[in-house]
Amino acid sequence: MNEKLRNYIDGLFENAPKTVRAVELKEEMYQNLTDKYNDLLAEGKSEESAYNIAVVSIGDVQSLIDGLSGEKHMVSAESKKRSAIMIAIAIALYILSPVPVILIQREMGLMLLFLFVAVATALLIYNGVTRERYVKADDTMVEEFKEWKQNNKQKDKAVGAIVGSFWLIAVCVYIVVSFLTGAWHITWIIFLIAAAVASMIRGIFMLKQ
Amino acid sequence: MSVASELIRGNTETIILAQLMKGDGYGYMVNKAILNLTGGRFELKEATLYTAFRRLEDAGCIVSYWGDETTGARRRYYSITDLGKESFRLRKKEWETAETVIDKLLEEGV
Repeated sequence: MNEKLRNYIDGLFENAPKTVRAVELKEEMYQNLTDKYNDLLAEGKSEESAYNIAVVSIGDVQSLIDGLSGEKHMVSAESKKRSAIMIAIAIALYILSPVPVILIQREMGLMLLFLFVAVATALLIYNGVTRERYVKADDTMVEEFKEWKQNNKQKDKAVGAIVGSFWLIAVCVYIVVSFLTGAWHITWIIFLIAAAVASMIRGIFMLKQ
Repeated sequence: MSVASELIRGNTETIILAQLMKGDGYGYMVNKAILNLTGGRFELKEATLYTAFRRLEDAGCIVSYWGDETTGARRRYYSITDLGKESFRLRKKEWETAETVIDKLLEEGV
């Protein structure tokens, strides 16, 4: 009969996240339910009715189990944030990587270029690997992401407008600076810097969400 | 009974804290004490009990530890903290205030 109680509790926790907290709660529930069941037997109840009384006394565990997965959602928001930072930094590094070559026209500049690229690639790989693990841990993530994306469509439009006007300003700055200094051979770097700043703007907005 | 339990539900955490004021206990022990104190009229659902335990634990009102029973499965015991005792006294005072107010409001005209 104890096996029957065990099976019942296993069934309740079937869709619960596999966290330490969930396993402990399950163990705790099983122990207390067994105590209750044994007490009922000692009172003279039949095995059948003791089991039924014990099972009914559990009540609705759905909110309890939802509470367990609530912790996970908090973690996922945190990891989204972290992932956004890493991607933004990586892209900024890629774009900025030629700058040392142009500024320090020596081997040192070339080495810095490779260093930039290496760090950026490492960030992207690390981000991909940690994200993969996260997807496996929570299969509702895709749905969640869709919802999150939907909610932020409006915000994305605002960011798009800001970045768009930013690029117009960058073009103006490029033309003005170029005409004033006449240094056309070097002023195009403004666009590289602008690209870096634009992805940073996107990154900052993603963080704020 | 259902109306009474509705009234009691708002005080679940206070009731649990009151039981732990008397000493450490595990889930079923606390619930049995409640059942006995009410003469078998009231008992918490397990789900309600554990939800309250988790919330009290997160709030730092209680701490839990696994017992070291040598025979049989291990039990999870709960112990009230100083913060929990403080919180209990506050909640009790709140209840007493509410009780006085409601008594006053429900008074029938003579």
